[in-house]
Amino acid sequence: MPESIVTADHLVKRYGELAAVDGVSFSIAEGQIFGFLGPNGAGKTTTISILSTYLEPTSGEAAIDGISVIREPARVRGIIGLVPQEIALYPTLSALQNLKFYGRMYGLSGERLERRCRDVLELVELWERRDDRVERFSGGMKRRINLGAGLLHHPRFLLLDEPTVGVDPQSREHIFDTIFKIRDAGTTILYTSHYMEEVELLCDRIAIMDRGRVIADGTLKELLKMLGEGGVIELEVSPPGCPAHLEDELARQEAVTSVRHEGNRLFISSADSARSLAPVMQKLAGAGCQVASLELYSPTLEKLFIHLTGKELRE
Amino acid sequence: MMASLRKLRYVAAKDLLIIAKDRGSWMTLLVTPLVVIVVTSFALAPVYRGGSLHATLLVTNNDRGSIGRSLVDTLKTNANMSVQPASEAESQTLKRGGSTYALSLVIPADFSSRVMAGQSSALTVYEDPNSTTSGPFLKGMLNGTVNRFSAVEVATRVAVAEAQKANPAASTAAVAGNASAAATAQMADQPIKTDVRTASGLKTLNTFDIQTPGFAVMFLLFGVMIGAEGLLEERDKGTLGRLLVAPISKTSIMGGKLAAQFAVSISQITLLFAIGHFAFGMDLGNSLLGLALMVTMTAFTATTFGLLLAAIARTRRQASAIGILTILLMSALGGSWWPLDIVPDFMQKLGHITINAWALDGIRGLILHGEGFSDILPQAGVLFIYGSVCFIIGIKMFRFRNA
Ligand SMILES: Nc1ncnc2c1ncn2[C@@H]1O[C@H](COP(=O)(O)OP(=O)(O)OP(=O)(O)O)[C@@H](O)[C@H]1O
Ligand SMILES: [Mg+2]
Repeated sequence: MPESIVTADHLVKRYGELAAVDGVSFSIAEGQIFGFLGPNGAGKTTTISILSTYLEPTSGEAAIDGISVIREPARVRGIIGLVPQEIALYPTLSALQNLKFYGRMYGLSGERLERRCRDVLELVELWERRDDRVERFSGGMKRRINLGAGLLHHPRFLLLDEPTVGVDPQSREHIFDTIFKIRDAGTTILYTSHYMEEVELLCDRIAIMDRGRVIADGTLKELLKMLGEGGVIELEVSPPGCPAHLEDELARQEAVTSVRHEGNRLFISSADSARSLAPVMQKLAGAGCQVASLELYSPTLEKLFIHLTGKELRE
Repeated sequence: MMASLRKLRYVAAKDLLIIAKDRGSWMTLLVTPLVVIVVTSFALAPVYRGGSLHATLLVTNNDRGSIGRSLVDTLKTNANMSVQPASEAESQTLKRGGSTYALSLVIPADFSSRVMAGQSSALTVYEDPNSTTSGPFLKGMLNGTVNRFSAVEVATRVAVAEAQKANPAASTAAVAGNASAAATAQMADQPIKTDVRTASGLKTLNTFDIQTPGFAVMFLLFGVMIGAEGLLEERDKGTLGRLLVAPISKTSIMGGKLAAQFAVSISQITLLFAIGHFAFGMDLGNSLLGLALMVTMTAFTATTFGLLLAAIARTRRQASAIGILTILLMSALGGSWWPLDIVPDFMQKLGHITINAWALDGIRGLILHGEGFSDILPQAGVLFIYGSVCFIIGIKMFRFRNA
């Protein structure tokens, strides 16, 4: 496994009674895209704010490339790029004027500044619109410039806070392409989202956040394994009490890896749900259980989130 | 260090570019103050410049004799007054043909005959008790003229008495007639004249000399209020946050923003003065260096006031609410709307809690009273201290991050 470039160790950020971030630890390997998946208010932006030196944590420690974000924030700032959740651009300035300004803030000038602005504008495919005021852009175009402004200085570590909010599918594709290109150029990326499809598609590793905590973390495969290798058979059965005494027997059926019940719902994980289905149904019928509904699905992060928290990812 | 300064300059340049591209800023910084200055300067010219006041007197002449006519003719020769013949009813109500007047004069039917006989006589004057300028002004001029005709009556009476002493049998009527005619003729020539000269060091007032500095300072403060809102907007919209996580110090960020605001303020007041001077003949005084110092110190203090406003207000809306209230209050108290020497003493003292009062004391001292560089150093010094205090409090209180 490649070396970690980002480490966070028991980060806590309190606002009075509320712990917006409540003991978050993780590490990101160089060159990876690391995803933060969590619902509104999970603490994603707060964590990003601490890593980007915008906020000081109440306690805990984090370092980028071995440099502490708490003790040496000025040094960290030179090697990171932040793309904030809101569009942080000057609306009355043109796309190019915005990029030039931010580029200068990162110490770029002259020929190099010009070239980087052009490269970035071409990367986000807005070079033709460079002289238009940002306020005249569509939402997706603004998002792309917002992203571009964080890339000018080739950061070693790029923090993207929900860069696709309010963007149509085409622009989203576009932003994804850009992110892959940046990753391929060697930048380590932290990507936050509350869209599970996004992190599934983009991220090498994923941390699921809820109420200020990381509740699961690993590769997509590792996470989904928590629900079962192949798939899940979910059944609603009656009469009540029926599922409980059948659990052990069901677990012995073909390809079944685990069985769990919640009320009169049965969750049967299986390495091959198609093969498990017939014997499971037989056993249920034999025990006099009625099946009210049946659902077969492959494990998803959405299901995992429900499994872990008992609530939907998207309210 | 060099890099910090360079970044400070880029922040300032970016702010200036944003302001230059914003039509709303131009309106508040230049167009609106110009409109207000021009309108109030023309409208208030007669109030400030008493000498050129002009008013119309209603006159009802019931006298058929020569003295009454002569009185009316004499009044008509006054360049600052028009005489409008009117019926007695019109004079009593001060209303004629849809217009209202401040003063009227009614000459009784026996006026000539009584004066010619050397007998005292009474003229009736109707006034509007609420007229504070035209009324008293007309009354003063009317009294001057009437006094001359009192002199005719006195001369006639003296002549008759003397003639009777010399020859008790002489016809008093003939003496009175001749004496009053001669006295009237001689009075028309105004034997004792007053020679009015402008006091040395003073000059005819151009209202632009008063109005331009007053409103320039007020709109300077409105200009920095917009700057304060802009600063809070940067915080709200996240662009300030973006700068905070970039390799640039807070000092460079704030320094650049204040430098831009300072440059805007200096340009604004300089342009307003230049337009006042070249388009409307506003006087710039005898010390351009003194004026430059006052402009610089006023712009500095205004800029720090903007910072303080941004530090006190939690939101943009609050900044404009607090800003409008304090700026209007400071402008009224501090002499932006009228010169402080026309308000009561304690109001003058109270007024000097404002930036406007100190700025205008210095600027109007230079422009209106011909003061020199050393005369305005105290005002410039007070503004500098004022600005430094605002700066220190503002910088300490300003929150770079959203609460
Ligand atoms: N400045 C603050 N003061 C008080 N509470 C705050 C502050 N900032 C964030 N919080 C609280 O901290 C919690 C986490 O907020 P955060 O913005 O990190 O969530 P998030 O995961 O980014 O959510 P979203 O998906 O909506 O962006 C929320 O409950 C929020 O209300
Ligand atoms: Mg967020």
